[in-house]
Amino acid sequence: MLLEVSNLTVCYDKAMIINDLSMHVAEGELVSLVGPNGAGKTTLLRAITGLVAWEKATLRGTAGGDVTLEGRISFDGRSIEKTPAHEIVRMGLVHCPERRRPFREISVLENLMAGAYLNLDKAQVQADLETVYTLFPVLAKRSKQVSGTLSGGEQQMLAVGRSLMSRPKLLCIDEPSTGLAPLMRREVFKKIQQIRELGITILLVEQEVARVFKIANRNYVLSSGKIIAQGKGEELLEDEVIRKTYLGL
Amino acid sequence: MILDIIIDGLIKGSVYALLAIGFSLVLGVARIINIAHTALYMTAAYLIYVGTKLMGLPAPLAMVASVVLTVLLGLLVYTLFIKPIQEHEAAVLIATIAVAMMIQEVFLMVFGGHYLGVNPLIDGYATILGVKVTYQHLLALGLALVVLVATRLFLVKTRLGLAIRSTAQDREVANLMGMNVTRVAMSTMAVSVGMAAVTGAIVVPLVTVEPTMWMHPLIMMLAIVVLGGLGSIEGSFVGAYILGFAESLVVFMVPMGSFLKDSVALSIMILVLLMRPEGLFGVSFEEER
Repeated sequence: MLLEVSNLTVCYDKAMIINDLSMHVAEGELVSLVGPNGAGKTTLLRAITGLVAWEKATLRGTAGGDVTLEGRISFDGRSIEKTPAHEIVRMGLVHCPERRRPFREISVLENLMAGAYLNLDKAQVQADLETVYTLFPVLAKRSKQVSGTLSGGEQQMLAVGRSLMSRPKLLCIDEPSTGLAPLMRREVFKKIQQIRELGITILLVEQEVARVFKIANRNYVLSSGKIIAQGKGEELLEDEVIRKTYLGL
Repeated sequence: MILDIIIDGLIKGSVYALLAIGFSLVLGVARIINIAHTALYMTAAYLIYVGTKLMGLPAPLAMVASVVLTVLLGLLVYTLFIKPIQEHEAAVLIATIAVAMMIQEVFLMVFGGHYLGVNPLIDGYATILGVKVTYQHLLALGLALVVLVATRLFLVKTRLGLAIRSTAQDREVANLMGMNVTRVAMSTMAVSVGMAAVTGAIVVPLVTVEPTMWMHPLIMMLAIVVLGGLGSIEGSFVGAYILGFAESLVVFMVPMGSFLKDSVALSIMILVLLMRPEGLFGVSFEEER
């Protein structure tokens, strides 16, 4: 199993965001996490990639409040719940954050190079850059442009491209299509499938349930920090309660 | 007269630019408002005085040694007083004020309140368009510009420079790229203190060394970063020259002007805060969760 989360609980102050949750992702899969707003999807990704632990360490005693993180997370056979976020990237578990968050004041190329920060093999970085440019030709065209001036869709391409520069085995993408125009959304989903064809395992958080269910191997439905259903898209859509209550379809 | 103002403004602007950029770097990357920044600049000046006047070392050697020692002191201050409380911005602010006062009191205790001075590296003066400019002033200007260019190259061309600029824009995402944010903050602190120390080394022959010499540059530097926009490197650069020239204008044109220079800087700061609080090159900090 590439990623295995067992009995994970995350609390911010007294609010329990993730409640005794277990899930897994096998190599080569595209797994989706869906569910209503506030279900804990983003927090789950943040716990997996070490950001919750980082907050726990840095925000101790500040206005951010106390963070509790319990349970086990293992990646590639190694337990990572105590590994700092910047070390987790090195293992090939890469997080493409919500709201895209490019480094707005530096150029597209510099953003991509920031993604390749840990890779000291210059030839390999250059090859990765070519791969990203082939996947997202628009980034090649805009490579010298300051990334804050890109359109929303282009910024999403940049965020994903930047994550690819970190050489992921498992890429966690948080809401890539949110806030984009319908045409751009279709483009994003196409690119995600192309990335999967590169042999990269994907854990995808998305609001666009109908579209995600078509491409994902398996899906987890999250609500109030718990997994309330899982399975293939067709199976989940057959269940009237899940469809109406949690997926809004 | 005009040329006097231009040359004086250029030198002051460059010196303030060095100070303000160093201050902005560490503010951007680690959210540390380091009030002790100019106290460390003063430390370098005192160490050069000790090296050249009291120990008789050659000036270049004393300069290098003072910069190295000041950086070490800066890192010690960071590790002991700032790092344990780094996420509490108000506490960091108070701690750095305390550090600045400590440094001031130590120098007052050791050297008394005397006005001390360091010999210029080179004597003599050049006449530019009928105005006498000492070689030492030209040297200081040249060195300041060299350091400014070097800093720019460091930030744009090196791996650590990229990490510093990325971390300044979004700490969390920098973390996700494999940048060790704590280590980047430490390196930035070293670079920042290094810039303060180099500035001290460059200007020490032009100023009097005394225990409150950190106050005026501090006020100017704070006014500059507010004018330029908190955390913005370009803003600090442009703001430094604006206030550098403003100070020269006031000193040369207004009777008793040198008593007014701090008031002018602070007035500009208040005006900026009233009219354009984000400054010339306003950077909106990332929303932190």
